[in-house]
Amino acid sequence: MGILDKLQTVADTRKALFPPGVDPLNIVIDEIYSATEASIGGHRVLLAGTNNYLGLTFDQHCIKAAQLSLELEGTGTTGSRMANGTFAGHRDLEKELAGFYGCSNAIVFSTGFVANLGVISTLAGPGDIIVLDADSHASIYDACKMSGAEMIRFRHNNLEDLEKKLKRLGSKTEKTLIIVEGIYSMLGDCAPLAEIAALKKKYGAWLLVDEAHSVGVMGDHGRGMAEAAGVEEDVDFIVGTFSKSLGAIGGYCVSNHPELDLVRYICRSYVFTASPSPSTIASVREALRAIQSKPELRTRLWDNAALLYHGLKELGFELGPDLSPIVAIRAPSREKTLFAWKALLDKGIYVNLVFPPAAPAGMSLLRCSISAAHTPEQINFLLQAFAEIKAMMAEQE
Amino acid sequence: MATTQYDDIYRQVVELLQEYAPKPGPIQEETELINDLGFDSLRVMEMLHDVEDAFDITYPLNSLSDLRTVKGFAEQIQHIIETS
Repeated sequence: MGILDKLQTVADTRKALFPPGVDPLNIVIDEIYSATEASIGGHRVLLAGTNNYLGLTFDQHCIKAAQLSLELEGTGTTGSRMANGTFAGHRDLEKELAGFYGCSNAIVFSTGFVANLGVISTLAGPGDIIVLDADSHASIYDACKMSGAEMIRFRHNNLEDLEKKLKRLGSKTEKTLIIVEGIYSMLGDCAPLAEIAALKKKYGAWLLVDEAHSVGVMGDHGRGMAEAAGVEEDVDFIVGTFSKSLGAIGGYCVSNHPELDLVRYICRSYVFTASPSPSTIASVREALRAIQSKPELRTRLWDNAALLYHGLKELGFELGPDLSPIVAIRAPSREKTLFAWKALLDKGIYVNLVFPPAAPAGMSLLRCSISAAHTPEQINFLLQAFAEIKAMMAEQE
Repeated sequence: MATTQYDDIYRQVVELLQEYAPKPGPIQEETELINDLGFDSLRVMEMLHDVEDAFDITYPLNSLSDLRTVKGFAEQIQHIIETS
């Protein structure tokens, strides 16, 4: 067998899933008009699956800051953070992130994925134990594998299972890192973080929270689920991304443990990759200011999310358990999910199509993510389209 | 766990595999989970919660990379029981 033979399985699966000419996993946005509108396949569509929670990709302050940085600092750093890739802006952003969270230390990475990969695989090593939520993001699973630590999984959001596993570890909990997410990316459900933090304290373990989908979204000041749950002091490490509510790309980790700063020297995904471009850093710094100075964005985001979530519930759709800006609709089969996804696109709406293993527990999902930039009229347009889709799916049965 | 005898563990493992195997068929000690029973990593992960409950153990995910046969699976579980 040659090394490429295994890819035939991918080709066979793709052929079985998608009819000729339809590949929902290779969508191209021909033109982007705003945080909520674009052109796909020559048609204007409403974007309802972009993770652009605060709509800051088209914020004029962010754009102007990036433009100015481009003119003054060029298009890229062409180097690692450890070599020539740390500009004053990178360090300033780290100080600002630390200040935002009230933490002593912050590190900026090139993406959220490599932030998880680097931080987790550096903090935990052989002889340590990682206890992670079963629905954790792929970057967390990959990081745990890279770390060489013993990996233990607990049932998603299941406190009883988590406690059972911590209890069995006995004194080894002092070398145990618990990893959870604030909001889970596929179903939009929230971690019971207050209870998880209480278990962490009870058993003397460490706690890392990935706030990728909750920073800018949760908490009175937008600091995420740890703030909303009132347990910021009990969380040892927070990892986050710039590619969602902050409207750009990049990742970070903040902590009150001063040792975090030493991670820079041995973290491979920090040392051996180019740093974020200075214009990206400039726009993120503006976006971080917007999160703090414009709480009305969060209010609008949650109003929009509630409008869609409750509207879809009234239409009889099966949704994720919690109201959040991620509204995931569970469909009965892959075929019906694909049918609905294509029908929505034909009606001028883009949502995410998610099949297992990206979706948990073998589910097929139509995943919407809502933005503060959506108007009530756009949400109503979405609801109207979903009502029509529901009728079309019923006709098929 | 009332007994840690291999035979009892093997019998329970076979029952769980029969429940979760994507390709049902006869199961013997040398039966392979992937090649013979059609398991992929996702299906194994789904089964592991029930394995942990059945034997009241914690199964480290690192052990999955060594998992090949039914006998090997039962022996892994026996080892976890005896060392926990």
